[in-house]
Amino acid sequence: MSKFQGTKINPKNFHKSQIKFYLFLVPFAVFMVLPLVFIFSQAFKPMDELLQFPPKILVAHPSFENFRQLFSTMTNSGLPVTRYLFNSITVTAITVILTVYISVSAGYALSKKKFGLRNFIFKVNTFALMFVPIAVSIPRYIIVVKMGLIDTFVINILPMLAMPVGLFLVKQFIDQIPDTLIEAAKIDGANDFIIFFRIIIPLCKPAIATLVILSFQTAWNYTEASSIYINNESFKTFAYFMNTVTSTNNTVAGMGMAAAAALIMFLPNLIIFIFTQSKVMNTMAHSGIK
Amino acid sequence: MKLTARNSAKGYFFISGWIIGFLIFTLIPIIRTFWFSFNRVRFTADGIKESFIGLLNYKNAFLMDVAFTDGLINYAGQMAVFIPVIITFSLIAAILLTKDIKGKGFFRTIFFLPVIITSGPVMKQLIEQNATSLPGISEYFSVQELANEFGLLGNLLGTVLSSFIMILWFCGVQILIFIAAIQKLDQSMYEAASIDGASGWQSFWKLTLPALMPVVGVNVLYTLVTLSGFSLNTIVQKISTDMYDINRGIGYATALSVIYFGVILIILTVFMVFINGRRKKAER
Repeated sequence: MSKFQGTKINPKNFHKSQIKFYLFLVPFAVFMVLPLVFIFSQAFKPMDELLQFPPKILVAHPSFENFRQLFSTMTNSGLPVTRYLFNSITVTAITVILTVYISVSAGYALSKKKFGLRNFIFKVNTFALMFVPIAVSIPRYIIVVKMGLIDTFVINILPMLAMPVGLFLVKQFIDQIPDTLIEAAKIDGANDFIIFFRIIIPLCKPAIATLVILSFQTAWNYTEASSIYINNESFKTFAYFMNTVTSTNNTVAGMGMAAAAALIMFLPNLIIFIFTQSKVMNTMAHSGIK
Repeated sequence: MKLTARNSAKGYFFISGWIIGFLIFTLIPIIRTFWFSFNRVRFTADGIKESFIGLLNYKNAFLMDVAFTDGLINYAGQMAVFIPVIITFSLIAAILLTKDIKGKGFFRTIFFLPVIITSGPVMKQLIEQNATSLPGISEYFSVQELANEFGLLGNLLGTVLSSFIMILWFCGVQILIFIAAIQKLDQSMYEAASIDGASGWQSFWKLTLPALMPVVGVNVLYTLVTLSGFSLNTIVQKISTDMYDINRGIGYATALSVIYFGVILIILTVFMVFINGRRKKAER
C-alpha cells in the first residue's frame, strides 16, 4: 500500500522511509547555516585568527577585543551612538508598516479590481524591478532637492515606501485567492474595506511576513539617504554610522571592527526573522484556500 | 456613477498611495536616467549642465570600454547557469519540504534563513573572506583546468562549483514561493493518478511540473532581478564607480545602466519563451 503514502495526513513520527529525504536535506541545511556561524565567530576572532589563511569557520580563542575597539571609536565622535540607533529604529518601524500597507493595498487593487491602467501599471512595475537601483540615485537626488526634502528626517523613509519587489510578490500571492471568496463576501454585504482588512490581509499573512523581512532589511541597511540627502548628523542612521566607522579606519585593525559591526548590523535581522518565520512557514499550510 | 466606473475608482483609490511613491522615487528618476544617457552631464556651480550628444555614450560603451563588454558577456553566461541551477534546486527543496518529514518546520526555517544574510555588508564580508566557495574544491580542481579540458561547458561547471554556496543562499524566497504553490495543488489529482497506476516520478512530470510552470516564471523573474540588482554584482559596481569618475561621468554611467537593463530584458525574454514553450507542450 506504499503507493498511497502521499494521501496520508502528516505523520508525526519518524519513519524509515523518510531517511532518503534527510540524506538530501541535512547536508544542504548545513550549508545554509554556515554563513550564520561564520558571522558570529568572525566577530569574536582576535587579530591573528582574522588574518589566517585559509580562514577557519570557527573561532579558536574568542575575545571581545573587536567590540571594545568599535565602541571606543564611537565615543570619539560628537553624538552618542544611541541617537543613530534611535533614528534607525524609528525609520525602520515606520517604513515596514507603511510599506506593507501600501504594497498589499496596491496588490489587492491590481489583482482583484478591474480598471483601465491595471495591466500597464503591473508591467511598468516589472520593468522597474529590472532597472539597476544605483543608476537612478542622481535623478532621485534632483527630485529630492526640488521637493525641498534635503536635510529632513522623512527623506530617510519616503524613497523606500513603494517597493517594486514587494508589490510584485504580494500581487502574485493575491492572484491565488479565488475571486469567488471575495464575491461571496460582497453578497454578504461586505464593502471594500472589510474585504481588504478581513479577507485579503489575513489570507496574505505569509506574503506579508516575507514582505516584512524584505522591507525590514532594506530599511535597516539603508544608507543612501544618510550619505546623500542628509547633512545634519543627528538625522543619520545607524547603518550609515557603521559604514563610516569601518571605512574610515580602513587598516588591518579595521577588519576586526568591521566584523563586529557586521554582527551588530545583522542581529536585528535575525531577531525579526525568528519572530516572523513561524508566520512565513506555517500559515501557508492552512491558509484556508486550496 | 455607473458600476464599472465606481469599481475602477475604488481600484485607483487602493493603488493611489503606491502610484505616488512609485512615480516620484522610481519612475520619474528612471525616465530622467534614460534622458541623461543621451547627454554629457556636468555638475557646475549653478546646477547641472546637460548637453545633448546623441548616441555617443552608447558608442563609447561598446567600442572603447573593454571592461564593460567583457563584463556583460560574463554576466550573461553566469545567468544562463545560475538561474536554472537555482530554480531546479529550489524546486527539489520545495518538493521535499512539502513531504511529510519530521522536523519539516525546522528545515523550512533553515532554508529560508539565507534570505536575511544575502544583503548588504554581511555578504560582502563573506565574499572577501572567500567563504562562498566550497572549501576544498579549489584544491582538487581549478576552474582553469576544467575550462581547458571541457571548453565552455567546463568553464560554466567551474563557475557553479566555485560559487556553489552562494547559489544556494539565493534560493530562500524561491523555495518559499514554490512551497506555497505546491501546497495549493489538488491532492485528489494525485490520488486519481496513482489509482491509474502512475508512479511518483510520472506524476511529478505530468502533474506537478506543468501546474507549477507559471510559478517557475515568477521565480525566474525574481531570481534574475535579485542577482542583477545585487550590489556586489561586477556590472553594478562598475556603473557606480563610473558615475563619479571625472572622465566618464553620469551620462556615461546611465548609458551603461540602460544597456544593462536591455540585456536583462533579453535574458528574461529567452527564459520566458522557453517556459511558455514548455507550458504549451504540456497542454497538448
